[in-house]
This record gives sequence, C-alpha cells and structure tokens, in this order.
Amino acid sequence: MKEAGARHVFPDGWPGIGLVGVGPCLVAGGRASVHEVGGTDALLAARLAAGDDHALAEVFDRLAPAVYSGALRVLGHDAAAQDVVQDVFVELWCHPGRYDPDAGPLRAYLTMQARHRAVDLVRSELRRVARQERSSRLEPGHPDPSPCEQMMASQTAAAVRAAIEMLPESQRRIVELAYFRGLTCREAAKAAGIPEGTAKSRLRLALAKLESMLDRQLLESS
Amino acid sequence: MTAAEHRPALPDGLRDRVLAASLRARAAGRPEPAAPEISPAEAFSRAADAFYGMLGVLQAEDWRRPALRCLDVQGLVGHLIGVEEDVHRGLAGDPQVAQASHVESTQPAADCQAGRPPAETRAEWRRTIGHTLDLVHAVGDPGTEAAVHGMRFPLGMLLVVRAFELWVHDNDIRQAVGLPPAVPDPSALGLMTQAAAQLLPHAAARRGLREPTSVHLVLTGPGGGTWDIPIGHSPPAPAEVAIVTDAVGFCRLVADRTTPGRLDLHITGDQDRAAMILAAASALALD
Repeated sequence: MKEAGARHVFPDGWPGIGLVGVGPCLVAGGRASVHEVGGTDALLAARLAAGDDHALAEVFDRLAPAVYSGALRVLGHDAAAQDVVQDVFVELWCHPGRYDPDAGPLRAYLTMQARHRAVDLVRSELRRVARQERSSRLEPGHPDPSPCEQMMASQTAAAVRAAIEMLPESQRRIVELAYFRGLTCREAAKAAGIPEGTAKSRLRLALAKLESMLDRQLLESS
Repeated sequence: MTAAEHRPALPDGLRDRVLAASLRARAAGRPEPAAPEISPAEAFSRAADAFYGMLGVLQAEDWRRPALRCLDVQGLVGHLIGVEEDVHRGLAGDPQVAQASHVESTQPAADCQAGRPPAETRAEWRRTIGHTLDLVHAVGDPGTEAAVHGMRFPLGMLLVVRAFELWVHDNDIRQAVGLPPAVPDPSALGLMTQAAAQLLPHAAARRGLREPTSVHLVLTGPGGGTWDIPIGHSPPAPAEVAIVTDAVGFCRLVADRTTPGRLDLHITGDQDRAAMILAAASALALD
C-alpha cells in the first residue's frame, strides 16, 4: 500500500480550507475482498494494474478453482497443482499488463498460463526421472525416496509414460534413447541408425506431441 | 452435472497462501508498471514547462477568449502570476498571504494584464515560475512548511498542489481556445493522485461528512494506485465503500472540473455514502 506521504496541516479557522492537525490519513490495505466491484475483464485488469488487492481476491475466488483443477488433472498430485496456482496468480499480480483483455477472457488466459506451467513441470519431472534412473543404474546404493515422493513420482511418471506410449515407434525410440538412456542427440541418432538431423527432427516432433497430449488433458479438465 | 461440479474444492489455506505470496511479491496499492519517481519540484517544473509550451502556440486572438470566472486567457495567466507572487511571500513567511483569498489576492495581477502584449504576460509568468524554483532550491528541505491562501503544507506537497493547479489551468485555457486536453506524465500524475487521495478526508470533513467510512479508492490508468482512506471518526467497524474510477477523471473531479455523474465509476458498499464522498471531493478546489 502506498505510504501516507508527508504530514500536512491546515490551521483551524483559516479562510480557505480550514482543517486542523491532520496526521497521515492513509492506512495499510488490510485483508482483501470485502466487496466485489466486479465488471469486465478489462476493468479487472485495470484494477490489478492499479494495485487493487480486492481485485486480486475477486479474480482468485472466481477463477482459481478452474486453474487448480486443470493443474491437478495434468500433474496428478495436489502439492504441485497448488504451486502452479500460486505461480499463476503471483505472475498475474506482478505483471497484470501481460494479460491483454482484447486478446480473450481472463479465464482463458489464466488456464493457459496454468497449462504451460503444468507442462513445464511435467517436462522437468520427465528429465528428473530420467536422470534418477540413470543415476540409480550407476549408484545401486541410492537411498529410497519417501512414500510421498514415491507416490508423486509414480503419478507423474505414469502420466508421462502413457503419453510416450502413444507416440509413433520411431519417435518413441528417440525419446527413450535421449531421455531414459541419457544419450546426446548424436549418440541417439547413431544408436537408432539414422542421421543426426532426422533424430533431432523426430525428437522435436515427439516433444510437441507430448506437450499437445498433456495440454489436451488440461483443456478437458477446464 | 455442470463442469464446475466436477471440480475438486480448493485445498484449505490455498487462498490465503496465494494472496499472501502475491502481496509479498508486489505490495498492494502500487501501480504496475510503476512510473519513475520524480520530486515534487520536478513535477512542478514539468507542469510549468507544459503550460509555457501551451501558451506559446496560442494565437493573438486566443488570449482574449473567456477562460475562467470573469477572466480571459490573459487574465488567467495574470492570476497565475499573482499566485506565484503570493507563493514567494508564503515561502518568506508572510502571515498576510497565508490567510489571503486565492481569488481576491490575485485579482490585481489578473486585472493588470489587460492591454499588455501577450508575449509580455507570458514572459512575466515564466520569470515568476523561475523565481519560485529558485526559492524552492534555496529552502532545500521539502518538509519545510509554507502557508499560502489558507493552506499550510510541507514544501513538497505545496509544489505538487501547484503542479496540479498549473495542469488544471492549462486545460482551462485549452478548452477555451479549442485545443485538446493535456494529461500529465505518469510520474507527475502519480504525485497528484497521491495528493488527491491524501486530501480526500479533509475535503469530506469540510463538507461535514462525519460518519466513519473506510474508502477503498482505486484510480486506474497511468499515475493511478489504490488507497484505503479512513473518513470521519473511526470506530472499530466503519462502513466500507469501494470506489473505482480513472486517475485523470478523479483529479479533474478534485479540481472541480467535472462531476461524479460524468465519471466512469464503479462503486460497492453504501452507494449514498459514496455519492456524498465523491461530491465532497472537490471541496478543497481553489479555482
């Protein structure tokens, strides 16, 4: 909240304004969302840009359920979905100008943001799982993960594996070589017996399809 | 069954957690993008430059057009010369100018412009502005209080109020001669909206609004912001009113250059209370 600014005083009984001993007149914002001003998405965006915390609370109350359920559908576990919700709303609050009301509804913008973040999380989880598998092959004595970690990893891995299984054989092979066996693109190309350029192209296509499949899950959920 | 019914309920605590994280990342009230901060003296200097530039494009006949009250454009510039001279006296601690009427005290300076070449009026006004800036520089401390025309302000606030006044009269003249209205840059406008929000409780008090009310004021657009402003005497649970409008429109309201009915307003809470507060917003306008 803006600071109160300089103290100003209007002597009592003077012609003109005539106020007495005025102290700082502004106070901190307090908790949000006492009233719903509502209005269009453009108005909400303008209020967010003006630092209106009530507007932030209104947007959350209206759209967080869709953002959360979409993220939960893709990610499969609650903690990660909550993180996505937080990231999406912090981003909206810190950079409200990135939402363009002329480009579409705020709901679509936020669910799109959630989808991108959820897919990014899945991708990074895919890389992490692949690293972990490689690491466990090299270090058999690696300590066991906690039950919670096991559950999260297994849910995410199941979603990713299901998506990979739907890829054409040629693309699935390159993904497995690059991500699960940890080969470079050149090494994966050699192992598959194809030119490096073809391997790169197949990998790009495969990743685009994976993203699209995971996106579709989110869209269906929202 | 609707799509919404398929959705899981939000986890307990998620709302509080997300809102708290958001407000840690960016404090409530601050506009985004934030305009570069400038000093009150810079805001005043910019308003003076804009005003001087506007005068420079006027045609000879424009200076004779009615502008405000009984003043033509040249008389209004004369009024501002008188204001600057009174500010000089105020900065020198003259008690008479502290209590002087904004209009009556400056009327002689307005009257004596009649028949002068406009270029002389313009040049004289510019000299008085330069002298004001010299005095401000000499005083140095923006917290030093100065009293003029019934107002006692720290120097910083006085300069913002003066920048506000120059912008308002700039637009009075623009309207008189058919030029499009001007809007201060976001940095200067931000200081003006801050001043307008700060003065709102005093405007309300001047109009006799004593009922305790917590006003959540949201001014949109460049130079805007959000303020929670207690009005009246504050018991534990005052009534709450949220007012959303654009920053420039609100400044014009405070300057008594528009009415609440002509603003694009979004209000929640007690509508009657909000209407009274908005009607009181111009109570401190000096004209």
